Amino acid sequence: MFLHNLKYEIKLVLRAKSFIIWLMLFPIILGTLFKVAFGSIYQNETFDTIPVAVVKISENEVFDEMLTALTTGEQPALKAISEEEAKAKEMLFDGDVKGILYVGKTVELSVSGRGMTQTILQEIVGRCRVYETVIRDTMATDPSSLEAVIKELSTEVDACREVPVTQGNPDVYVQYFYNLIAMVAICGCNTGLHVSIDNQANQSVVGARKNCSGTPKSINLTAGLIGSCISQGVSMIFCVTFLRFVLQVNFGGNLLLLYLCSVMAGCLGVAMGFFIGSVGRARFEVKVAIAMSISMVLCFMSGLMMGNIKGILAEKAPWANRVNPVAIISDSFYCLNIYSDYRRFLTKVLGMGIYIVIFTILGVLFARRKKYASI
Amino acid sequence: MKPTVVKIDNLVKRYGELVALDHFSLEIKEGEIFGLLGPNGSGKTTTINCLLSLLAYDKGEIEVFGREMTPTCYDIKSEIGVIMQNVAVLDELSVRENIDYFCGLYITDKEKRKACVEEAIRFVGLEDFVNFRPAKLSGGLLRRLNIACGIAHKPKLIILDEPTVAVDPQSRNRILEGIQELNRNGATVIYTSHYMEEVEQICTRIAIMDKGRKIAEGTKEELKGMIRNTESVSIEILELPGEIKEKITHLPHVYETEYDGTKLTVRCSGGKHNLIRILAVLQEAELGFGRVYSELPTLNDVFLEITGTALRDSKE
Repeated sequence: MFLHNLKYEIKLVLRAKSFIIWLMLFPIILGTLFKVAFGSIYQNETFDTIPVAVVKISENEVFDEMLTALTTGEQPALKAISEEEAKAKEMLFDGDVKGILYVGKTVELSVSGRGMTQTILQEIVGRCRVYETVIRDTMATDPSSLEAVIKELSTEVDACREVPVTQGNPDVYVQYFYNLIAMVAICGCNTGLHVSIDNQANQSVVGARKNCSGTPKSINLTAGLIGSCISQGVSMIFCVTFLRFVLQVNFGGNLLLLYLCSVMAGCLGVAMGFFIGSVGRARFEVKVAIAMSISMVLCFMSGLMMGNIKGILAEKAPWANRVNPVAIISDSFYCLNIYSDYRRFLTKVLGMGIYIVIFTILGVLFARRKKYASI
Repeated sequence: MKPTVVKIDNLVKRYGELVALDHFSLEIKEGEIFGLLGPNGSGKTTTINCLLSLLAYDKGEIEVFGREMTPTCYDIKSEIGVIMQNVAVLDELSVRENIDYFCGLYITDKEKRKACVEEAIRFVGLEDFVNFRPAKLSGGLLRRLNIACGIAHKPKLIILDEPTVAVDPQSRNRILEGIQELNRNGATVIYTSHYMEEVEQICTRIAIMDKGRKIAEGTKEELKGMIRNTESVSIEILELPGEIKEKITHLPHVYETEYDGTKLTVRCSGGKHNLIRILAVLQEAELGFGRVYSELPTLNDVFLEITGTALRDSKE
């Protein structure tokens, strides 16, 4: 009886429209949208050659050398256009160039507006001035060491040393994908809701029919919950696989644990839906609306719609992130990816486990009624 | 004497102030098609839900197959087939899968279950629709699927709670014939309805319910024998002087006349040739009339006479 029930419970969930829409299509669509949106952000971070107009006031050999170095190579920093001052100003006004370099004894920069490009130009000119001074000094005091000085100047010296705190991918945008997986997991509450509704005589006619049958309610409920968890697990694996291998989202190296964690998160969604379905008596549509509303609020609080909300909550109400199951789920993925030890990850997994147990026990307590006061 | 299959004794069910079942008692013998007849809200479905141990009741005892019925009597439940008032099938499963799923809640043996499912499909005539989802079925076919899901495991007791609501006449006849066939195959049937024609057509014994109480019980002949009315004569007549109506009222065996401006209804209790005597009065008064028909008493007349309200008025 149990296996018979289990087989049909899995079939029922996998064929349900809500399952196909929310747990299969929705992550594909939203994941793709995220990828497209964040992909353009990454593209914007690549460096483009900056066009500048060069107005020569007098000869400056040192700067000419440096300008040649800046405008040649595989990815030159600048694209220099020599112009008269009036024309250069016109080009700057039209946006054809980002700045005007006035080259005389010293180099002056003129830009219009503020921004990343202007800052880069300012930095370049500043450096040029320093290099120019050093080179001129060297030429005047010790011309024989000029070559060595130029070599030293062209060597990048970094006073900071990068020490990685993690082996994982610290990309902030991956957090959105974690939230997406968490949302798919929590949408499993719709599946769990069905288990409760379909087994209670006062909630559905199918529930009434099942309660009249020769199969104990405990078997029906157990098969329903396990079947839903299996189906939900399938959707979670599908979601992670799609994000990782189709959209190429970098989730770090612990992919197996990520899969296991996401399946567990799916079970949490099912347990939450089962609990919501078991409490009180309301029309199925009302319960679905309640479950979806709760899910969406939890997703919002975990940062699915607004990336910085989690940070705001961490500052204003830190308990909110600790009790929000969606935040726990997405944090578990984050901990798995970022931290090399599993202590934080296991804490989050334990939190999920506690939620699953509490929701399931409460759900069973409410749903196990033998007789109903009204149907 | 045939054994008792269902015994309900002194059942009381209250919803707050409302008494849904008021000391209701019933005994159903093996092999019967027992009809529970009553208007909407009379307590038929509440009785069925209490009988199935779905609903908690305030007082009384219920025995099924000689044992007290409790929610955990799964062996008793295994012998019961239930066809709910509302169609209880799963939209995501096909016709065959639905029947197999619900049958599987009773029968574990795969081979036996398969045979039962095929038989149920044949029985309700859904052979051409086995791979259809419920959403693709018409109302009548859906009702048939609902029945198949309830009887596939070959129960000894079949409970049908208004199975023909919103069903076309053709499907209704098929369902009623099916119920009689199930009964011939050995099942005891409890049939609730507010359609008296259906109950009259198939039930061997009937209990009439009103406001949570059993107001009469017996075979249809016994029930009809409980009332004065033995014949109702209806005559379409456009003009009926008061003295003629009075004259008809005083004819032998006539106990009530009713005239609504177009139709005269005369109710008689016993006697023969009542129709001839009434028509003779009209001919003597040289009054023209249209269609004339004589009807034997129905269960509606029984209900009307006992409660003072027409059963038909309660139809949806």
